[in-house]
Amino acid sequence: MPEPLISLRDVSRVYRRGADEVHALEHVSLTVESGLFVALMGPSGSGKSTLLNLLSGIDRPSGGDVVVAGKRLNDLSEDELAHWRSRHIGLIFQFYNLIPVLSALENVELPLLLTSFDRRERLARARTALDVVGLGARARHVPSELSGGEQQRVAIARAIVTDPDLIIADEPTGDLDAKNADQILRMLLELSHELQKTVVMVTHDPRASEWVDLVFHLEKGILKETFAGAAGKDHVEPREPSAGTRA
Amino acid sequence: MKYLPLVFRNLLRNKLRSLLTGGAIGLAMLLVCFFLTMPGGIDRLLSEISSNVRVSVHNKGGVVYDMPYAYVQRVRSIPGVAAVNGEVWFGGAFEEEAMVTFPSFALDPDAVQAMWPDYKIEPVALEKFRRQRDAAIVGRETMKKYGWRIGQQVSLVSTVWPVTLTFRIVGEIPNDRAPHFWMQREYLAQAMQALDRDLDTVGTIWVRVDDPAMVPSVMARAVEMFRNSPAEVTAETEKSFFASFFGSLQAFVQIILVVTALVALCVLCIAANTASMAVRERSREIAVLRAIGFSRGIIFGTLVAESMVLATVAGGTGALLTYGFSAMIRMLAGGSMGSNELGPLTGFLVTPGIVAQGIGLSIVVGLIAGIAPAWGAARRPVAEILREVF
Repeated sequence: MPEPLISLRDVSRVYRRGADEVHALEHVSLTVESGLFVALMGPSGSGKSTLLNLLSGIDRPSGGDVVVAGKRLNDLSEDELAHWRSRHIGLIFQFYNLIPVLSALENVELPLLLTSFDRRERLARARTALDVVGLGARARHVPSELSGGEQQRVAIARAIVTDPDLIIADEPTGDLDAKNADQILRMLLELSHELQKTVVMVTHDPRASEWVDLVFHLEKGILKETFAGAAGKDHVEPREPSAGTRA
Repeated sequence: MKYLPLVFRNLLRNKLRSLLTGGAIGLAMLLVCFFLTMPGGIDRLLSEISSNVRVSVHNKGGVVYDMPYAYVQRVRSIPGVAAVNGEVWFGGAFEEEAMVTFPSFALDPDAVQAMWPDYKIEPVALEKFRRQRDAAIVGRETMKKYGWRIGQQVSLVSTVWPVTLTFRIVGEIPNDRAPHFWMQREYLAQAMQALDRDLDTVGTIWVRVDDPAMVPSVMARAVEMFRNSPAEVTAETEKSFFASFFGSLQAFVQIILVVTALVALCVLCIAANTASMAVRERSREIAVLRAIGFSRGIIFGTLVAESMVLATVAGGTGALLTYGFSAMIRMLAGGSMGSNELGPLTGFLVTPGIVAQGIGLSIVVGLIAGIAPAWGAARRPVAEILREVF
């Protein structure tokens, strides 16, 4: 049986705020197989973004083990984590966060600057990624000349251009209208199912469960529930929180 | 190199701010480079007006104190001495109400050519200077300053002696920077005799030596000759003498250089402020770059590079513009626009070395200005920045 792409074992994250301790995550355990489209859901302050930061190697846990793409992230330094993210993670943010002075093509090229590809190769790959999201014709446009939906598609192209193992999306539809939100969700689903990319998405949107294979529901830092989304009902069985998860 | 386009795009993000900061850096570097020409300019000026075979002998207490006139003959007897000429400071003022004096001296007309052959005064003028009691030879700078011409009669009020003397200009010292006004010692002596006073002192004894190698021994002999006398003397080369004479100017130059350093410091603060604002405004973008895998080193390097590129381009332009600025100063000082008020500034030449110093200083300004904000942006954990900006 192949190893899961994501494996969290008894993971906690505690922040210090002055003299107080904030328990953002408490003893969370979960696994995600490759090629799934996963949603992290829950109310504000439930620990979704904290969990996302741990999965993407942006943050480190206070306790437990985080293993992603076969790498234990707990002990890596800031620079080692940065290097690891550049190879294995594609990030999509709620507000797109494109660099406003760069064209769509140059924004997509950014992660490739961290590789050894020459400029020609970088641009070729960036164009391909833009074609995948249907924005090949808008390559020379700067973000201010693109709509919100288009900017988010550029952000998706930037996330996939390095062919990462895991795509992390933090409320990717939060700033979009329903039509554009559906387009983005469909695109992420296609990335997951057709290109076999694992996509983990934080969302408040209740409709998102119709698109994903699996939903993790968090409350107050605790993984309360795991259930299959509509897109994955055929191959993912509903289940209770795993043994290591405190409900 | 592959990050340079990103650096340039960020520099052009706020064009007005970059332009204003660059303008401040460029202007400061222009001033810095121009003022850096001053020490070299003064040295060139001293070398130009000095000879390596001329020595000044004057009272050990300072040039304002007299020596007995008899010293002139005794100095002439020192082996190796080719010529001697004793000067008396007249302190002449042309415009009595202004009382602005210039270097006017009474001296021995027979020893002018032997003492200052390098001045290239016309023989006809020298001959008239020897023969006419009221004759005067005037430096071209003073001639220009007052609009005098050869053959003209001028009256000078002495600020040292109780006389006003009228002179006829018989020739000029053909050097744009020569301010001298020379008169016969005998003319002043007769005027003083008319007041029942003798002119039996001398202010400076100029000595011309046959061989530059003998200058140290002649100076030593002159000092030794009058040791333990009522008026002990000191001797120095002409360059050293003028350097002392221009001591106040050198102090002024030092003040200018201190001001220049302060200007450079101000520019450093301006550049650092610009870099800080740029980092603060882009904290969200920097967080995104860090999140997608840009290491702290790359973030630090690109931010410092931004500051350095701006400072180097602007400062380098300012440094190169110093060539044009100094040429303009020279033109104003002695060129077609006619003013000679800036006198010595015309000798302050910009050299490639000075421009290189200006460019080097610009690079350092950019580096130092960029380090603190870049370090601040690079050192913080990426999770902490993301929590703040999202």
